This record gives sequence, C-alpha cells and structure tokens, in this order.
Amino acid sequence: MIVRAVPVASPVRDAIRRRMVVAWAAAVVLGFGACRLAAHAAATLPAPAPFEELAYYPSGRALEPATLGHAESMADLAWLRAVQYYGEHRITDLRFSQMRHVFEILTTLSPSFESPCIFGAFALAQEGNDFAAAEQLMLDALERRPRSGRLAFEMGFLYFVKPGGRDLRKAAEYFELASRLPGGPPSAARFAASARQNSGDLVMAHELWVQVRASSPNRYLREIAERELERIEKAIATGRQELAVHRMSRPVVVVR
Amino acid sequence: MSMTSNPSAPNALNADHQPLAAPASGRPAAGRPGVTSDSGPAVSIRGITKHYRHPWTQKVTRGLEPLSLDVHRGEVFGYLGPNGAGKTTTLKILTGLLKPTAGTATILGVPIERVSSRTRMGFLPEQPYFYDSLTGVEYLEFVARLSGMPGREATRAARAWLAKVGLGERERQALRKYSKGMLQRLGLAAAMVHEPELLILDEPMSGLDPFGRRDVRDLILEQRERGTTVLFSSHILPDVEALCDRVAILLEGRLERVATVGDLVDGTAPAVEVRVEGGRVFEIPPRLAPVVERADAGGSTGLRLREPERLQELLAWLLAERIAVRGVTPIRPSLEQLFMAAAEKSAFHAQDVRRPA
Amino acid sequence: MIALLVARNTFREVVRDRVLLGIVVGGLLLLGVTRLASPLAMGEGLRLTVDLGLSSISWLGLLVVLTVGTALVSKEIDRRTIFNLLSRPLPRPLYLLGKWLGLTLALAAVSAILGTALWLMLAALGHAAYAGSISEAVFLANLELAVINSLAVMFSALSTPVLSALYTLGFFLGGQWCDDLRRFASHCPPGLRAMIEGAANVMPNLPLFNMRTLASGGELTTWTHLGLASAYAALYCACVLALASAAFESRDFK
Repeated sequence: MIVRAVPVASPVRDAIRRRMVVAWAAAVVLGFGACRLAAHAAATLPAPAPFEELAYYPSGRALEPATLGHAESMADLAWLRAVQYYGEHRITDLRFSQMRHVFEILTTLSPSFESPCIFGAFALAQEGNDFAAAEQLMLDALERRPRSGRLAFEMGFLYFVKPGGRDLRKAAEYFELASRLPGGPPSAARFAASARQNSGDLVMAHELWVQVRASSPNRYLREIAERELERIEKAIATGRQELAVHRMSRPVVVVR
Repeated sequence: MSMTSNPSAPNALNADHQPLAAPASGRPAAGRPGVTSDSGPAVSIRGITKHYRHPWTQKVTRGLEPLSLDVHRGEVFGYLGPNGAGKTTTLKILTGLLKPTAGTATILGVPIERVSSRTRMGFLPEQPYFYDSLTGVEYLEFVARLSGMPGREATRAARAWLAKVGLGERERQALRKYSKGMLQRLGLAAAMVHEPELLILDEPMSGLDPFGRRDVRDLILEQRERGTTVLFSSHILPDVEALCDRVAILLEGRLERVATVGDLVDGTAPAVEVRVEGGRVFEIPPRLAPVVERADAGGSTGLRLREPERLQELLAWLLAERIAVRGVTPIRPSLEQLFMAAAEKSAFHAQDVRRPA
Repeated sequence: MIALLVARNTFREVVRDRVLLGIVVGGLLLLGVTRLASPLAMGEGLRLTVDLGLSSISWLGLLVVLTVGTALVSKEIDRRTIFNLLSRPLPRPLYLLGKWLGLTLALAAVSAILGTALWLMLAALGHAAYAGSISEAVFLANLELAVINSLAVMFSALSTPVLSALYTLGFFLGGQWCDDLRRFASHCPPGLRAMIEGAANVMPNLPLFNMRTLASGGELTTWTHLGLASAYAALYCACVLALASAAFESRDFK
C-alpha cells in the first residue's frame, strides 16, 4: 500500500525562504541606491570630454607589438573610435586636435586600410583646416603603399581641392601616377590631362566631387561632396565663379 | 620472523637475495591446474628498491628496501602491510608508474622496463578515477583497445564485463553519476576486460559494501579457476585469508615474511578453550597448572589449554571434580592476529611514520 | 596506432566539455555583433567582420589552449586517471602525442565551425569570393594554435595548470614579438645579441602564421608560405613533444 506523505510545514525550509527573501530585497535596494548615486554623480560632477582618451594612445609604432599579431582588428577598432570622435566634434566645436594622431595610429597598424587615410585627409583639409596635416597623412600612406592607384588618385584630388589655392601641378602629377598604378580609377588619365591644360577647373572639380558622392561609402565624405557641389553649381549658374573659386582659393581662418 | 632465517619457508632467499629452490608449501593450492612453481613465475622481483630524494634538500626517504619476491603462475597472492609500508609502491613499480631506484623485475618473463610487459597484465589502482564525461561502455572499450584488443571485440567485451560487474543497465550513463562502489566495480572490469594473464589489484575491496566485496571475491575466485595469476593488496584480512594461496607481509618497506596462509597459521601454537560452569570454586591441579589459563567471564569460566594433546587429561579431571563442561573450542589464531603481532614486533606505528605510498 | 586512441578519447572529452560549446557560441555571437556594428564603420563593415571574425578564432582558440590545454595532462595526474592508461602497454611519448593531437583536432573543429560561419556571413553579403582567403587564414591560425598547444601539453606534463598557463602565455607573447626581439638584438653588443637571438629562435615564430592582413583584403597567400608554415609547425611541435617525452619518461606517479 502506498501512503502518500502529507506535506508538513518545515521550520528549516521556512527559515531558508525568509533568508532568501531578505537577501533579494537587500540586493534590490542596494542596487537601486547605487544606480541613483551614479546618476547623481553624472549630473553633478564635471564630465570628461568625449573620446579625449585618444590623446593617451601611444603611437602606432608603439602600439603595434601590443596587438599581438592582430593589428588589422585593432586598426578596425581604432577606426570605429575615430569615426565617433569625428562625429562628436563635427557637431560641436569642429576641433579635431586628435585626428592626426588617431589616423597615424590607424595607418601604421594597417597600411592596407586606405579608406581612413582618405577620409582623415579630407576631414583635416576641408573641416579641420589643417592641409599640412592632411598632406602628411596621405604622403605617409603612399610611402607605405607606393603601388596604390587609389591613394595616388585621392592625393591628386586633395591637391586639386586644396583650400586657399589648388595645386594643379601636383594634382596632375598624382593623377598621372594613379593612371599608371593598379587600383587607380579609369578617369585618372583624363583628370591628369585636364589639370595639365589648366582649364575647366570648376567642371573638373564638379566631376571629381560627383564621383565622390556617387561612390564613397563614407557618409561624411558624401556630405562634404554634396556641399562642394552646391557651391560649384551655384557659381556656374550665377556666373560668379569666385564663389567656388574663393572657396578653393581663399584660406579659411579658424579660431582654435 | 625474517625470510632468510627460515630456509624452509616458501620464497626464502639466500644471502644474495636469490630465491632458494621453491619448497612444497604446507597448504597445497587445492590441486588447481596451472598452480605450479615449475613454470616461470608470473612476477619475479629481484632487489627492487625505491628511495625518494628531495630535489632541494637532497634528503633521502627510503620507500622500499631491496625486495625480492616471486609470484607463481596461477596463484592468488596477498600483499599485506600497514599504510605506508610500500605495498602500493611495489605495485606501481611493477605497472610502470614508478621507476625503481635499483633492482629488476619481470612480468610473465618480460622485463618491466619494456612497455610490452603490461600487455598481458591488468591493473586496478587504489580508489580509481575515470573520465567524467565518458560512459561505462566507452571507457571499457577505450582501455580494452589500449591493451591491444581489436575494435569490435573490445566493444563486445566492454558490454559483457559491464554486465558482469552489475553495471549493465548503466551503459549509457556518464561516469560522473557513478557512486564510489560503482566506480570500483568499473575499475575491476577495466582490469579484466582484455582477459589478462596477471591481475594486479590495489585494495580491490575498497569502498564496497559486503555484497560488493562478496562479488569481488567471486570474481577473483573465478579468475583463479581460469588460471589467472592474481596479486592483490588489501587491508581486509579475512578476505585475504579466504582467497590467497600465499601471503607476503611488508613492514616499513621491508619484506617481513612470505608463506602460505596455512603455514602462517599452523606455525603458531594452537590452543583449546574449555568453557565450564561459572561460580565454582576449584583449583587447577599442579600437573596442569603450567599449561592452563583461567578466565572468568559472566556466568562461565574459560580454561585455555596451551597443549591441546592434554585435552583428555583436563576433561577427565573436570569430570572427576563434577565440574560441568559447557563447550570445547579449538583456538586458531587468525591472520589478523598474526599480522598485528608481526607489526608490533617490528615496532611500527602507522600514525607515527610518514612514508610515501 | 595507439596514439590515435588517446587522441580520439581526448577529442571526445574536450568536445563534451561545456567550455568548448561556450567558445563556439561566443564566437558566433561576436560575428553577429560585427554586423550590428558595421553601420558605425562608415562603409568598412565588411572589413570589420573579416578582421574581427578571424581574430576571434585565434583569440578563442588561445583561450581554449590556456584553460584546457594547460591542464590536459596535469588534470589526469591529479585525478589519477592517468594510472589506468600508463599501466597499459602505452608508451609515454605516444600518450603525450595523443593528448596533443586530440586537442588540436578539437581546436580545428571549432575553427572550422567559426570559419564556415564567417564565410557564410560574407557570402550572404555577396562576397563569397573570400572563401579562399578565409580558408587559408583559418588553416594558418590552426597551425599557430597547434604550436601553442604543444607548448601547453609540455608544460602541463611537468607543472601545475596555473604555472603551465603562465609559461604558455609567456611563450605566446615571446613568439608574437620574436621579430621585434631580433631587431632589438641587432642593436646590442655581440654577447647579448647572441643571447637575445637565441631566445628569439627558441620562441615559436608566430608571425609566420599570420595572414590576417591579406585575408582582410580578400587576398591569397603563396603556396610557398603555406608550405613553409606547415613544415615549421610540424618541426616545432615535434621538437617540443620530444622534449616533453624526455622529461615525462622519468616522472614518477605517486
């Protein structure tokens, strides 16, 4: 005969249950208190500048051993940081003091990572108003990858849209180089010829910016291209070429 | 009693630790086939020594003194000793887990330094452990194949042995769910799955309940009937007494004695105890007083006669004095008593001496 | 061959260990996270997936070696399961070989799963052509893990799991920096230079197994590179396992 046991109250189980409830309640209260305290601290204490820890990153050469053979992945992560850094400063103060440093790290870790070089150079030139830094960034990249037609082409483009005065001679040199190297766009030779002839400045500039807007996967670069295209089209439509030319010729002074 | 002082004892050695001609034992091994000292020994140990040297202090701890021993083919050989005596050390040297400091040994004629010496041998270590994630069949099949069995045969043998040790219904159960007793039985199965000619078992009864111990005893007896040589160490002396043809007693790393159980026991002085009614006042006659000890306990009195051949004389006197006799019992010392006596004689106390196992 | 029996058992044990399952799930999750993060990469999402996917295979494999490989033999010694094996006609060198082979095969299985998942993700994005470069990168990563695993097995046979993990990690770091060590040595005086170069030669040449830079761009390496890396891995592993066998032969199991 099977006798089913009648459940009886167990003082031991009750005591354990009570202790569990107390522990849970303590955890909830303490956790809530910690969250409130953190929120209060964020509201009252001075906030650190976003992404300024980038200043504490050592150079790319110093960082490379620390990547333990995963320089490409570290470069990718640095790229994500760099994009966030650019976006943050673009909507606030347009100050990109760490831009050169971050892109130097990036390009040292991964010389084959061309897009950040190109983006960094144009961001520095067009929005950071530091053409010298932009030029050096591209030159360093080309030194590491001298056979890259894409880099050569973008270097030519950089000289062509140089704020404060385009450098057609250098632009033509690099367009010609790009036409001879693998990876250079098919239009490179034509751009070189146009630059050499020193004519159709706005037309050629318009073509180059259209290419950027159509092909670049970088949203920020496409926005830069859109802005320049508006200026050039307005200049062409009104016949006031100085609008676009001034943009290209007049150095823009920025109070840092 | 040291081995070399009794030339007639089995496995006696000469001064060079070489065995004398194997004498006939006082207790023949029940006429079983294969039990003969004429074929080469299953295990032959000559001067095996094990010392441990501390790597920093260079202090030497003596684990095993020069040991020489033969285990004949087909016999069941018991290896006794207190904790730290060197039993496990000896067994591990034979199975290749420890390297001897000096000496040689052969297993079924093959020197122990050769890996092939372990092909026809099965070993059960003390408190065996296994791979948690494997099942019983997987483990037995694995070890059977390591011992040279072909794949299908190994699987078949694994299933058969698992059933034989009472674990047949747990084929698919992971070993992490096995109890201690189940693991011990699995270990036995692992030692026997490849049908070895020699079994070396270190504490095979360890962790088993009385039913389990009975099953292990039956397994050992079955192996003995097959002609397998069994060498095992144990603390459970009644089992050793019941199973073994010969027994070796090891103390402080030194072989104290090797003999048949019968010789060990027969060699001691027998006695007879006569229980008589209690409460009677009487005096043992002077002619019997030197050989009779009296002990009063409860409602009876015990008279221990050290010379059993004078039993009739004592009974006749008791009858004449009208002292009622309650019972007459021959007293035969057990192996346990002999073992304890030998241990005390060598002034060895297990709790005071730390020895490597 | 008897070593294959040990390898098969080791593989089975490792695969049934939940650690490996966690590693695979973690790797797959990481691949998913790279896709979620791709919009932040401003057009470089594909590269992010390839780089982080390949890196995760290496890092997770290293984690397995440091947690499982460094305890492979020492755990058996501590738990005394090794008694049941070495009391059989199993030569100790073949035992070590079997343990190493079993874990190496388990790592290869994990790499294959994660590598296949990575390729499937790329194929879904229209970049199925990455198959070749992914395969080569995963193959070389496996050779790298096999080399590190041989060191882990050797240390595991001689030391505790914690010390084995530290030694193995030390050799891993030294191996990643062996080129830097040689460059540093070239600036040192002759005696010190010889010592440092000697140390650099003892370290495994891990940069030899790194083609993540090429795979990042979908490029293939040469057959010469693959052949050299395979031969080096085989020789280095054999050397380390031979050293381990020499030390393991005289070890007593109390």
